[in-house]
Amino acid sequence: MGTRTLHVEHLPEQRYGRRYVWQLPVRLSHWINFLSLLALFLTGLYITFPQLAPAGEPSQHFVMGRMRQIHFAAGQIFLVSFLWRVYWFWMGNNYARSGFPFVWRAAWWRDLVRQAMAYLHLRRGNVHLGHNALGGLMYTVFVIGLGWGQIFTGLALYSESNPGGFWDHLTGWVIPLFGGSFRVHMWHHLFAWGFLVFAILHIYVVLFDSHQYRNGLLSSIVSGFKFYEEGDLDHDSWVS
Amino acid sequence: MGLEATLVPRIVEAMDKKPRIPVIWLHGLECTCCSESFIRSSHPVAQDVVLNMISLDYDDTLQAAAGFQVEEIRKRIMKEYAGEYLLAVEGNAPTRDGGVYCTVGGDTFLNILVETAEKAKAVVAWGSCASNGCVQAARPNPTGAKPVKDLIPHRAVINVPGCPPIAEVMTGVLTYILTFGTLPELDRQGRPKMFYGQRIHDKCYRRPFFDAGQFVEAWDDEGARKGWCLYKMGCRGPSTYNSCSTFKWNNGVSFPIGSGHGCIGCSEENFWDNGPFYQRLSNVVVPGIESTPDQIGKTLTVLAGAGVAAHFGSYMVRRGINAAKKEKPVPSAPEKEGGDQ
Ligand code: HEM
Ligand code: SF4
Repeated sequence: MGTRTLHVEHLPEQRYGRRYVWQLPVRLSHWINFLSLLALFLTGLYITFPQLAPAGEPSQHFVMGRMRQIHFAAGQIFLVSFLWRVYWFWMGNNYARSGFPFVWRAAWWRDLVRQAMAYLHLRRGNVHLGHNALGGLMYTVFVIGLGWGQIFTGLALYSESNPGGFWDHLTGWVIPLFGGSFRVHMWHHLFAWGFLVFAILHIYVVLFDSHQYRNGLLSSIVSGFKFYEEGDLDHDSWVS
Repeated sequence: MGLEATLVPRIVEAMDKKPRIPVIWLHGLECTCCSESFIRSSHPVAQDVVLNMISLDYDDTLQAAAGFQVEEIRKRIMKEYAGEYLLAVEGNAPTRDGGVYCTVGGDTFLNILVETAEKAKAVVAWGSCASNGCVQAARPNPTGAKPVKDLIPHRAVINVPGCPPIAEVMTGVLTYILTFGTLPELDRQGRPKMFYGQRIHDKCYRRPFFDAGQFVEAWDDEGARKGWCLYKMGCRGPSTYNSCSTFKWNNGVSFPIGSGHGCIGCSEENFWDNGPFYQRLSNVVVPGIESTPDQIGKTLTVLAGAGVAAHFGSYMVRRGINAAKKEKPVPSAPEKEGGDQ
């Protein structure tokens, strides 16, 4: 039945607890995503606006070639990390699923409005173990949505250098879908900006929340543990 | 054509002995650049194709006869060679207002096209007009022009895009059909794989400069003189499927990139709407927003930054006010207000 408030059932005077929220695969995927997206964003920028024009024979340089190589390698790493996280959505603990937009549940909508209002009114809001509904929605749009968009457009572009190859069979259909290869480039480029927008919002909200809640939010993506207080919201029961 | 050398005798035999295929070549909304290209083919020579390989029974621009006489011929071919004749279409049909914006011999081109396609053995769409719509289907497309594949959706259409297509590609497609009696293998967009299987960029002789990172940055700079890659000048080679960088044009003389101009992607869908031609990023992403992906992205980034700054600013102001209201400033822990638990 949706959100459950926490009751600490140890010693009566004990108001605080600690819970293992982010399992290792979640934390690993988070940091691999961070590193690969950083590399993808920077090399992607170079691919669009190659600034370097070293003089001399072309055989002496391989700048664009190297950037594309790094971009494609980072793309594959991101892909694996992303698919791994999708797998862990099913296999992990309930917190691994807490970001899902449970749009068919009234409790989800209540939490969404409550959390949005708390931010707008500059209120402290509720500590959630797992994600709150607003945070979950943000990850769904910016990480899952953009991630798939970027993976499909990126792999379709990648497939072009080997017509009839593996990726062509798997993702080549994306090109006619967007109205030609050129438009796939344009969308891939636009989506890349989405990750920057996400980074700004994500980092701000995390800093703001951890300052407000003081529940070990920041360190939880390294250690996996979050602290809670009696009355905080637990999402452990949302999916079970 | 990517055929083995052992198949050459078969092609020679086909060109010598096979009965000539009747061809009806229609012209709709177009500029005739496809025909202009076609008659300049050198392998095989165009007159060989027209006189020995096919029987060009109807072609508005090349036929000697005129008027009712030729419309009569078209009707006769459609009846006598039902299921055998090849329909070649140059140009496309406007569909708005019943197709009145292009009429031939008193009927709309739309009707003529649909009617002639009915009993054709195969339909070949010459050029970007017939394959993708080209300029007359570019925004805002006032006449509702549509490419051939959209007008006869139940028929398989061989798309031979390009503005115009390379002459040898056009005659090559006909040679293939004549030789093997079947259609060449087509890709997802209905283009013969043997001519449209790879991008200009993959066979471009300037590609080493691309990989090295040596780019022309202005039409008269050092790089332009040295023949560096035209990527930063908006070259569409990386997203254009065609044979220009292999076959070249006019019997192998040159092609746009060889002459110092970027590829404009003339054989690609929507190439007019993907402009401006001379910049890497175009204005096409979101319909109705005339901005490059970069302008959209920067705007969103600035908005996100401003939102964050506004939130943080008002939070700090509010904290200051709260602290001032209390006689004794609150200790560092922020007050808990979430009253709706
Ligand atoms: C996930 C897998 C990804 C793959 C397989 C991939 C692949 C590609 C490919 C093949 C290109 C075209 C390179 C060329 O034109 O030669 C490209 C360009 C680019 N990529 Fe990715 N990419 C991926 C993810 C990303 C991500 C996550 C970002 C941004 C955060 C990104 C940003 C860019 C940018 C900005 C360009 C330049 C686009 C242009 O202007 O043509 N890519 N990518
Ligand atoms: S000139 Fe155009 S097609 Fe040739 S390598 Fe440069 S970008 Fe590619």
